[in-house]
Amino acid sequence: MCGIYDLTEKDLQPLTYTPAFLDKIKGMRFFDPHVHMTARTTDDYQAMADAGIVAIIEPAFWLGQPRTGVDSFRDYFSSLLGWERFRSSQFGIKHYCTIGLNSKEANNEKLAEAVMEILPQFIYKEGVVGVGEIGFDDQTALEEKYYRAQLELAKEAGLPVQIHTPHRDKKKGTQRSMDIALEHGLEPHMIIVDHNNEETVKEVLDRGFWAAFTIYPFTKMGNERMVEVVKQYGSERIMVNSAADWGISDPLAVPKTAALMHESGIDLNDIHLVTYANAVKAFAQSGQIDEADFDLAKNIDQSEKFNGSSILRGGQQPRIDKNTTIIR
Amino acid sequence: MAEYVYDLDSVSKLLNRIIQYNSSEKASNWLQQRRDVQQTTNAISQFNQTFTAIPRFVGKETINVQPEDLDQLSILVPEFFVQGWTLDRLVRVWWLLQLPASNKNDYVAAIENLFNAAEMNELAALYSALPLLAWPEEWIARTSEGIRSNIGIVQEAIMLNNPFPANYLSEPAWNQLVMKAIFTDKPLHRIVGLDRRANAALANILTDFAHERWAAGRTLDPMQWRVLINFITEDNLADIARIASSVVPAEREAAAIVCTQTKFEPAKKLIPADLADAVRNGEINWNSIAEKTIK
Repeated sequence: MCGIYDLTEKDLQPLTYTPAFLDKIKGMRFFDPHVHMTARTTDDYQAMADAGIVAIIEPAFWLGQPRTGVDSFRDYFSSLLGWERFRSSQFGIKHYCTIGLNSKEANNEKLAEAVMEILPQFIYKEGVVGVGEIGFDDQTALEEKYYRAQLELAKEAGLPVQIHTPHRDKKKGTQRSMDIALEHGLEPHMIIVDHNNEETVKEVLDRGFWAAFTIYPFTKMGNERMVEVVKQYGSERIMVNSAADWGISDPLAVPKTAALMHESGIDLNDIHLVTYANAVKAFAQSGQIDEADFDLAKNIDQSEKFNGSSILRGGQQPRIDKNTTIIR
Repeated sequence: MAEYVYDLDSVSKLLNRIIQYNSSEKASNWLQQRRDVQQTTNAISQFNQTFTAIPRFVGKETINVQPEDLDQLSILVPEFFVQGWTLDRLVRVWWLLQLPASNKNDYVAAIENLFNAAEMNELAALYSALPLLAWPEEWIARTSEGIRSNIGIVQEAIMLNNPFPANYLSEPAWNQLVMKAIFTDKPLHRIVGLDRRANAALANILTDFAHERWAAGRTLDPMQWRVLINFITEDNLADIARIASSVVPAEREAAAIVCTQTKFEPAKKLIPADLADAVRNGEINWNSIAEKTIK
């Protein structure tokens, strides 16, 4: 989401950038472990594939306005497992998701109860790599109640937990999220604490949790700051994501951050860890991620020819030339 | 209305044999154990959990089927097709046969619930299982709904090599299936019952569609003309004439077959002379055209 920001005439001009950053990261593979693709276009998928993103995780979240019935949740969860998964595959990107009741909507108790009832139907599905994103928004009693209930669910299912930390009163909210998780007997290595910043990262790492950083303009981390974080804290248990959604955000945040890290002299191995390998390792604890599947998704050749006719394999989408005024 | 319209016991055993042939010992044991639990407890939650968990335990390799098993299957359930399936799909379909079906309401509710909470591969397995589900008339609306899906493998599970739609769908729903298959570039020759369910309304929709495509300067799948064999009239004769003189070889060949097989005399005059023999001796047929244009 966009924060308060002074727009100038320059900010309103159409972008004419050439993605020079792509050269710096040529051949690298990325895993974006937090991106809300239901809010994004096919152009984004194409650009992500072009930038080297091979797999993504879409956490269940709210949709910008509150839902009023449990069936909306059911349909949303099944769209993450169905249509969105297929849409992603059309661009050669392996799509996983985490399933959970988000903190904002946990405040509607009647609805929250109904959602808790259907969650077990979804968290055991193929490609569900965690319970998420759950945690605190306003840090209310109801948020805490359903956060705790879902920690129990994750424990029972042996799934990692993807924790959303609040925008307001962040430091305290982050500490509290970790305290409660430990109270429920979850191991820190099963918990990915998301949306960290310079103020929260040290404690998260010191206590043995995974620290995820969201590169998101105006409200969360910028990638120059991210470079400094990696310089200071290294690459162990740190991962970056875009959390791109229906707000002003950037689905290429992970590859762009990798490019900036490379430019800033950070070791390639460290870049690999924070933009790919750590996230794979953390979420593969679900038993639901097989890296060989990334290649399988990638191997769909768009222009494969068979007896002279151009064909599309596995529902792969044809590429269109964006630089022409002609649309056919 | 019948519970099962085929010999359930024999099919279940045959599928089980194909599964055994393709499974590791560990996967077989797990399945056996799940079935024992199912038969003793009859708990719907455990039935659902097993359905979901199947790929984790049996894997997703493409199955091999012995020719004699294929033969037997085609006798037990005509046109039911498992070739090219992954093992998890076959096991899921077999697992559905383990659900007691004598109480129709409970059975339908349980299967509908699986549909409603299904992920992509589960949906494909459920639709693939349509020819084997109990109370077949109950799945007609569900099938029409599935045709509206935008998910490629779900569309394929319903449209291709699946005898259920041709056997049960109403004419409008059937026509929608064929048109959706065309719009989503499916290999039409793999639609079971494409010839048997051809009808005048569909023939009209297809010629209108051809006019639209031609107006837009786009191409057509030559296989679509197959539906017109018994529905050529004065009104669409010009369209047949157009493809009979097409520069696209597959279109001319399609026209040649249509004009050879139709009973509408004026169309017989349109058979391209150079193709007449090849059509008559079977050298040109729908499969050879499919080879040329396959998706």
